[in-house]
Amino acid sequence: MGTFILKRLLHMIPILLGVSLLTFLLMSLTPGGYLQSLRQNPQISAETVERLLAKYHYDKPWYVQYLYWLKNAAQGDFGYSIQYKIPATDLITARLWNTFLLSLFATIVAWCIAVPLGIWAAVNKDSLVDRACAMVAFVGLSVPEILLALLALMFAAATGWFPIGGAQSSRYDELTTLQRLWDRAHHLVLPVLVLAASELAGIMRQMRSNLLDTLRAEYVTAARAKGLPEGWVIYKHALRNAINPLLTIFGYSLAHLLSGAFIVENIMAWPGLGRLTIEAYTAKDSMLVVDSVVMATALLIVGNFVADVMLAWSDPRIRLKE
Amino acid sequence: MPLLDIRNLQLEFGTGRDAVRAVDGVSFTIAEGETLCLVGESGCGKSVSALSIARLVPTPPARYVGGEILLNGCDVLKMDQRELRSIRGGVVSYVFQEPSASLNPVFRVGNQIKESLKLHRPQFATDDEVIRLLKLVGIPAPESRIRDYPHQMSGGMQQRIMIAMALASEPKLLVADEPTTALDVTIQAQILELLRDLKARLRMSILLITHNLGIVGDIADRVAVMYAGQIVELSPARALLQRPLHPYTQALMNSVPQLGHELDRLQAIPGNVPNLGQFPRGCRFHPRCPKAQSDCSQKAPELVEVEPGRWVRCPYWK
Ligand SMILES: Nc1ncnc2c1ncn2[C@@H]1O[C@H](COP(=O)(O)OP(=O)(O)OP(=O)(O)O)[C@@H](O)[C@H]1O
Ligand SMILES: [Mg+2]
Repeated sequence: MGTFILKRLLHMIPILLGVSLLTFLLMSLTPGGYLQSLRQNPQISAETVERLLAKYHYDKPWYVQYLYWLKNAAQGDFGYSIQYKIPATDLITARLWNTFLLSLFATIVAWCIAVPLGIWAAVNKDSLVDRACAMVAFVGLSVPEILLALLALMFAAATGWFPIGGAQSSRYDELTTLQRLWDRAHHLVLPVLVLAASELAGIMRQMRSNLLDTLRAEYVTAARAKGLPEGWVIYKHALRNAINPLLTIFGYSLAHLLSGAFIVENIMAWPGLGRLTIEAYTAKDSMLVVDSVVMATALLIVGNFVADVMLAWSDPRIRLKE
Repeated sequence: MPLLDIRNLQLEFGTGRDAVRAVDGVSFTIAEGETLCLVGESGCGKSVSALSIARLVPTPPARYVGGEILLNGCDVLKMDQRELRSIRGGVVSYVFQEPSASLNPVFRVGNQIKESLKLHRPQFATDDEVIRLLKLVGIPAPESRIRDYPHQMSGGMQQRIMIAMALASEPKLLVADEPTTALDVTIQAQILELLRDLKARLRMSILLITHNLGIVGDIADRVAVMYAGQIVELSPARALLQRPLHPYTQALMNSVPQLGHELDRLQAIPGNVPNLGQFPRGCRFHPRCPKAQSDCSQKAPELVEVEPGRWVRCPYWK
């Protein structure tokens, strides 16, 4: 197990290197930049601009910039956001945490609803419940996140029950700890629901078809032939096997989740990594763009890694030896 | 009273006009300690008949149209869920064709056997009893095997585990549905040897399903030959092997490869097994039958006792 984890961590390095290099290259290919745009500003002298450019190595070719970035990143320093005028590390950490919270709760909500519903639909195949679930799933799969997010915003504005955008209210600093917690939770609800809703349908259909497959398996007939009560046959023998492919899906669905978070964050003004990436890109704050993309990649890899460990734990046929 | 007495069992798949009859009037008995072999080509209804003994065919899509399955004198088709659970394992146990698919991949084999013990002999649900069962079915070093997962064993070992699991509940009847088809030849012989040995030691009844007449002689007391959902010949094993009466049985015998015979004597049965629900009029075998007469396509023959203990569904058996 230890070597497995180590090996996976080592695998992360080339991926992160590749992604950062590619992002760097792409950013250097797009014309202009934050500092370059300062040249147009008559209030800032040309010398100041040149000084700043030299300070952040923007006057060097892109690969030299990349090497500087790499050297600092390896020491945990992700550079300086020239747009926000604070160290990028602080900014990224806060935004990463927000995206993590959003994705984590959306995942929990989606799975806690989708898995039982999928089981229910499979066990009562072709019943009214099953058909209703199929309808809901169909709608869920065809409505894009953007529309859901907009609807949620309209809902918040019309009812006033939920804050419109942001992760905390403006008087956050004056609140007690408990009030702060509540304030954050209150801000989380709608984005989490929108993101969860977009994940839910897929997981539910997957759960249903997995369970239907395993219910047809021969070992289920064998379990029934032993004289086990039907509940045990379904929930012990069939379900335990139906979960395994779902854990594989979990790894893949993370990518979907992150891109969903990207959209939800931007529309519902949730200060997460996805929003930061767009902001940084628009402002041509290229270091910050690279930082956010690398962080998102890391989040994805770690998530996949967690999925693999869970699958190995759940399915004895998968060994973590190699 | 025989242990198992199936009378005129009729089972359909589907409903209304699409209904197809997979089992049509099957009757046979198995006495205590007796071994009956059920033989026939693929799709003739062997598995469905055998699964019906513990009502394991899912309904729907299946539907029992008629007949009785008397197990110890009680009709399985009239039992409620609780009674069914007690006969499943308790009276009749199953071993299936594909051992790797019949064992649950995510549970340790020892626990899967223990599960049967817990249900039917709870006071014996111990590692010691599991080890005793594994020894009984000839698994070497059973102490080290009980914590294995199914995928860590070979096919032959897995089938032995299945048999141990079936025996754990001490059933009166063991139904083995093509237990050797998925295994390679040497392992097949070992598993058959094991079944024969268990039959002698435990004095169980066995219903052995196979589409290979070649293995019948070693183990069966009686043989039932099925064709297209019906039994066409039912006879003591030795008599049937020496002198098969039904043309279908004769054709089956000719298609069994035998050592020492030249290959060109091996005859495949001409034509195909008719599809379910598209059985020909009259005798279902007549389009493929070398002895077919003109009225075979008109009148459906009955299963008749032509000699003591020998039943044949063909008026031209002589
Ligand atoms: N769930 C089902 N739905 C519809 N038809 C079925 C179902 N199960 C079995 N059948 C049909 O019933 C017939 C008898 O099937 P059965 O499995 O008993 O054949 P078999 O004699 O055991 O063949 P094999 O040697 O291939 O195992 C087949 O034609 C099959 O297509
Ligand atoms: Mg079969």
